[in-house]
Amino acid sequence: MTPSLPDILVGNFMCMIDPPPPEQQGEFMAGKVAVVALLSLLAAQEAERGVAARMTENASIAALLGEAAADYEVEALAGTDDLSLAALDAANARLRLALMRLHEAVEEKGDTARHHAILRLYAQMADLRRLDMPPLPGH
Amino acid sequence: MSLAERLEAYLSRVWGEAVTVVDLSRIPGGASRETYRFSARTAKGERPLILRRDPPGSLIETDRNQEYLAFESFHDRLPVPRPVAMEAEGAELERPFFIMERVEGGTAASPFTIVPYGDHARAIGEQFFSILGTIAAADPSSLPLARAAEAPAPDACWKIALDHWAGVIEADQQHPQPIVWAAIRALRRRPPPPAQAIRVVHGDYRTGNFLHDGAGKILAILDWEMVHLGDPLEDLGWAIDPLWGHFEADKVAGMLPREEALAIWKKASGLAIDETALAWWSLFNAVKGQAIWTSAAKEYRDGGFKDPVLAISGWYTARRHDEILAAALMRWENLS
Repeated sequence: MTPSLPDILVGNFMCMIDPPPPEQQGEFMAGKVAVVALLSLLAAQEAERGVAARMTENASIAALLGEAAADYEVEALAGTDDLSLAALDAANARLRLALMRLHEAVEEKGDTARHHAILRLYAQMADLRRLDMPPLPGH
Repeated sequence: MSLAERLEAYLSRVWGEAVTVVDLSRIPGGASRETYRFSARTAKGERPLILRRDPPGSLIETDRNQEYLAFESFHDRLPVPRPVAMEAEGAELERPFFIMERVEGGTAASPFTIVPYGDHARAIGEQFFSILGTIAAADPSSLPLARAAEAPAPDACWKIALDHWAGVIEADQQHPQPIVWAAIRALRRRPPPPAQAIRVVHGDYRTGNFLHDGAGKILAILDWEMVHLGDPLEDLGWAIDPLWGHFEADKVAGMLPREEALAIWKKASGLAIDETALAWWSLFNAVKGQAIWTSAAKEYRDGGFKDPVLAISGWYTARRHDEILAAALMRWENLS
């Protein structure tokens, strides 16, 4: 997914380093600081859970592709032993593309059971990537 | 030349009198336009105004002429600010902009806060869905907006909208997104019924895009940059999208129970709600949201990571909408 955790953390620096023009100080700058603070908090969640989430998602997609290989043309994909976020994301992109191709073939064939299995996998993937907003008071 | 000096040069030229810009200050939030408050001082007095200027990179590509005409269309019949000037080529400000009158004393809720309207949620909700219904009730052919907005055929609304936002995702995605593409295919396989009427679609009608006075009154409906003509259920589906629910599952938009909100809209619009059609437009709106967040992620990267609002949009909200889309796809197939 983009932006990546390094993107966010680099961005938190980049967006604050230039001195703002007079009309962007005050309320605007206060708002910007609040957004940067929130991004930092979410980045902490990603730092804690991001690697595990990607490993689980990649393994789940690979398992589903493996199960489908008997009935569909599924390309063989090499995994990765590199546990950096960048390497896991690169592997994830390959797996997701293969999953999308499989899902289209499954839909075309009218294979309801596998279609539903893929939808359940999507729900799992979305949950693994979840970021939790803290309860920010609204008024 | 500072922004204040550019504004002074522009207003002095078009108003034909000396104008001094005072209290120029950028307002936080929003990534599709830079928004500033200022006052224009002339020999006749001081006029409180708002400037909306295109940023160097924008979250969404929108038609500022239609946006301006939407303000012209509704400022005299709904709480909508009066437009003052629009320059599609940018003139002295170098980037496209428009100016409108400033509504004083209002605040906009952040969509990611909890209980933003406090004890006034019901009162705000009644106005919010009534105003949306009133927009949907208006005959677009009688509005200034009709000068620029094309009216689609009732059976083409869904395809025009879906093709547009699918194209945005296709152009801007930087990582494969199987969930949203599954939703796009599902929407194409099971299109909605034709629109019951072609009406004005605000395009971004949601919590956070209006000013309220903190005491239960809506003061101004804002952010018309995605306005167009189409199926009025499109706006309703966006307004009740779970992303804008302020984390309250028993209400829509953090305001009212769903059935009450829909009943208010129906009464104000004079239109019916086909639940099958609304389900289609609800799933569509999650796709549309994901398209906007996909563009935000790209813009954040292309713009050198300088706008943290784009980061929130392209990261947190994108993941929220993946959750919403995945759950909606399960419901679409009657799965739990």
